[in-house]
Amino acid sequence: MRRAGWAAFLGPPLALALGITAALANPQPTDLTTARILLGALEMAIPLAAAVACSSLVGRDPARELQLASPTPYRVTLLRRMIVTLGWTAAVAVPAAVVLIATGWWARWPENHGAFAGQLTWLAPTVGLSSLAFAAGAVFRSPGAAGALVTSVWAIQQFFAGSAQANRPGRLLYLFATTRGTTPGDWTANRLTLLGAGAALIVVALVLLGRSERLIGEEDE
Amino acid sequence: MTAFVASLRYEFRMQVRKRTVWIVPALTLVLFVLIGGSLLRDLFDPAERPVDPRTAVVGLAVQLNALLSIGFGCLLADRLIRDDRLRVASILDATPASPRARLLGKYVGVAAATAIPVSVAYFGFAAAYAVDTGEPRALGWALAAFGALFIPGLLFVAAFALAAPLVMPAPLFRVLFVGYWLWGNVVSPDMMPTLARTLVHPLGGYPLAAFFDFHGIDGQDTWAGPIPGATLNALRPDPTPALAWLSIVLLLIIAAAVLAGGHALRTRRIR
Amino acid sequence: MRIEISGLTKTYRGGVAAIDDLDLAVPTGMFGLLGANGAGKTTLMRILAGIVRPTSGRVTVGEHDLGTGAGRTAVQRDLGYLPQDLGVYPDLTARQFLDYVALLKGMDDRTVRRRRVGELLEVVALTEHADRRLRGFSGGMRQRVGIAQALLADPQLLIVDEPTAGLDPEERIRFRTLLSQFAGRRTVLLSTHIVDDIGQTCQEVAVLAKGRLIFRGTVEELTRRAEGQVWSVVTDGPAPTEGTVVSALPHDDGMRYRIVAPSAPRPGARLLEPGLEDGYLAVAAGRGNASRHPAAPPGRRP
Repeated sequence: MRRAGWAAFLGPPLALALGITAALANPQPTDLTTARILLGALEMAIPLAAAVACSSLVGRDPARELQLASPTPYRVTLLRRMIVTLGWTAAVAVPAAVVLIATGWWARWPENHGAFAGQLTWLAPTVGLSSLAFAAGAVFRSPGAAGALVTSVWAIQQFFAGSAQANRPGRLLYLFATTRGTTPGDWTANRLTLLGAGAALIVVALVLLGRSERLIGEEDE
Repeated sequence: MTAFVASLRYEFRMQVRKRTVWIVPALTLVLFVLIGGSLLRDLFDPAERPVDPRTAVVGLAVQLNALLSIGFGCLLADRLIRDDRLRVASILDATPASPRARLLGKYVGVAAATAIPVSVAYFGFAAAYAVDTGEPRALGWALAAFGALFIPGLLFVAAFALAAPLVMPAPLFRVLFVGYWLWGNVVSPDMMPTLARTLVHPLGGYPLAAFFDFHGIDGQDTWAGPIPGATLNALRPDPTPALAWLSIVLLLIIAAAVLAGGHALRTRRIR
Repeated sequence: MRIEISGLTKTYRGGVAAIDDLDLAVPTGMFGLLGANGAGKTTLMRILAGIVRPTSGRVTVGEHDLGTGAGRTAVQRDLGYLPQDLGVYPDLTARQFLDYVALLKGMDDRTVRRRRVGELLEVVALTEHADRRLRGFSGGMRQRVGIAQALLADPQLLIVDEPTAGLDPEERIRFRTLLSQFAGRRTVLLSTHIVDDIGQTCQEVAVLAKGRLIFRGTVEELTRRAEGQVWSVVTDGPAPTEGTVVSALPHDDGMRYRIVAPSAPRPGARLLEPGLEDGYLAVAAGRGNASRHPAAPPGRRP
């Protein structure tokens, strides 16, 4: 966790807290809008925080050369840091989801998909976006560029939600299918596609990170 | 003056050479084109594009400003702390050049360099639209929109992007920045208290309404002014040209204050 | 350009005193500064470079008071500074980096600036690499760029912190010679862990420990501090524990140790002529013959 950085530690709880604050600050609250904002904190804010933390995993490691010279492959070390980051994100998201389920807010959102499968609400976009961040970090070796790319992808899907879901590939890769709607019946396929795309991106990242000479040079400063 | 110009020139040169300064907006634009429904495609579709060239290029400005400013802010988020990370700061601090002038030069230089791909994209699409429609006026409106919407907004973002990583890790800034960008620009004021549609609106709601008479691509939206039942309506007077200028000046004053704060903080730390 | 330091204290946040009531006078010419890690050398150099402000005390460089903004700027106009942890912009070429620093040093005239940058690239033997980006430079080449930037404005005061770190032996000797030639009527303050560098270039030297001055005098005087304290011990057993082991060399009968200790560390130990390094170690260990060579009060030669 220490090597994953403060942003990985602070990001998910802070993002969740801001989401809950947004729900509480609603001047004209209804059960539906409040439930949507609360689930939105899980589906939107948590994945963003986790992904930006993952975008910083590659690059600027002061002990990079020592890591590359150690018997444990550096890409395995980086993958472990990603798992720790996502594990911490889950440690924040699961209790939050449990609280929402226990207090009934979960059920007040019609597209909640139940207590168990519904956990894909945060898990699928978190894995999908974080894997994109990890892969972008491996390609650019610049946390700034990788962070810029994932935040831009997240923002495109926020600002242009309708256009982003205009066709089936777009709908399957849409990050916010629970709280910003999708075609009925697409939700499960959407979540599984995000998880699958995440797995594929991690493989791509690991292949790139296996070429150690790419990691020795200074990154694009 | 020399320190300002030197810092501006070299910071610009270093930033504009960064591949990622070009790759990130390019990839964002590719994604934006791929999702469909954006003005990037509709501008060239006679059935979909706005009839009025002003609405078309101002609408394009709103869409690109909303989207590319995020990458712009994220790419700038390490530029002030970079001198310390690269261990160049002590050499620069030991020169007689005024630290304020150096900071200002760095701010203008890196912001201008990172804005180059944004402006290339915007003017490129606007020019293509002007040629496609035979409407040279579109280029005039594009210039005006760039000056009134992009420049104040990008300078506002750049100041926060440079200064905020002095008090928080750059990745955390990126998360908070994109959250702020959504909240402060897009979230409806009747949903939660927000700076959207106020005088402090980096997408330029007041200039959009008062200078360009812009009411969305379909002519149905309003971008500034009060919303019944919303909080912070005191910051949403009915738009006028004078208030549009005030809105621009407010953004620049906040940017200057943030930069000054960042400068003071860094000075206090190294001493 | 004479430096006068009196009652200088620098306490960082958290209460760590890096410099503690320091009095020191640095005359024109080469002046060496020695001390262990954490002795306060780098903080002192940063204060003299106008980067760090003292907590209390007074520092004047020439006629300029570093306590004032105008004084700091005036000193910085005549200053060349090579920090210990030198960094460069990897995306600039050597020529561009030097041009940038020259501009910040106020060298406005383009022709003069270009000529000076070219001269210094020649001096540090980087002319043929001048237009390569610094990203691909080795540590030694970067150090040479650092040396060049310090000399850009033909400074009257040159502060160099560990300047020979990363240089190969030939480059090190060349740089030492360059510094000595450069000094002349200027002031060069050389801080280093490599005692030999001081011995080869400086007439006078100061030793700091825990932010305080524990010695100031000539190189010969520092060497004499170890008189009667340097021993040679040959043993095939464990290393002697008394005193400070300066070197250990394999020998036919075991190991030969050179030890700085107030008395013979083993029966049969042979007394040796001290070197500068021995003198430094004796002073640093608090065992120098202080009664014969007291630290000089500020502004006075011992």
